[in-house]
Amino acid sequence: MDFVILSLAMLAIGIYGLLTKRQLLKVFISIELIAIGATLNFVTLASAMSKGLGEAFLILAFSTDTAVSAVILALLVIVSKKYGTSDISEIVKMEDKGESEAEP
Amino acid sequence: MILEALSIGLIVSACLALFLDEAVYSVAALAGTFIFTALIYVLNGAVFVAIFQFAVGVGTLAILFLSGEMLSDKPTKKTSPKSTVALIGTGVVLSLPAIFLSVSGSAGSGSNVSFGDALWNLRGVDVILQGLVILTLALGIAIVLYEKKNGGK
Repeated sequence: MDFVILSLAMLAIGIYGLLTKRQLLKVFISIELIAIGATLNFVTLASAMSKGLGEAFLILAFSTDTAVSAVILALLVIVSKKYGTSDISEIVKMEDKGESEAEP
Repeated sequence: MILEALSIGLIVSACLALFLDEAVYSVAALAGTFIFTALIYVLNGAVFVAIFQFAVGVGTLAILFLSGEMLSDKPTKKTSPKSTVALIGTGVVLSLPAIFLSVSGSAGSGSNVSFGDALWNLRGVDVILQGLVILTLALGIAIVLYEKKNGGK
């Protein structure tokens, strides 16, 4: 059983979702999966090496992850309220349309 | 055996979270991912981290459940049972390399600093600065939302 490969698999799933999914919620879930893969790797290596220091670093990583999640969720809510959709390609189309209408 | 089962569950729930069409089911699968991760942490001996993971996960999931319906459009078609089974199979296949392969070398002997010592003596300033950054971020978001509500005046 190797947790490094497990965290690599999580990273691969997250990156695949980040590249292929168009919904904002799925993009957020992909970012969460990548963060889970990173922290899983951290915990495994912390267990193998100096345990206390690794766990202390991990608490900081969790705090940062939570703050990032809060900012991303706030932005997602604002964007989906502004454009009325959570589809990234539609949002981009609306932005392009708005820019072309603004130009003389 | 337990770790293998947990790793399969982790990958399967991650696949389901990403590929299920309905937002609520996706968030429920993400909850499963958080729970499996925390259980793996417990079995690795990192109980404090597992508790922290539970706390962070519960907060994130509560907000996601609330905003999930608002953020997602109605799916045009529901996920069929056949594709759900295919997703679970894909998750099981993806978790097989983690069970049967190995890339880790021999574990080095670390400095074996205790957790409390590391958190408060070595990283104490970092923890306080991190708290300040998070507080500033929260205040910033609150101000932006307040300005939005008042029409940018």
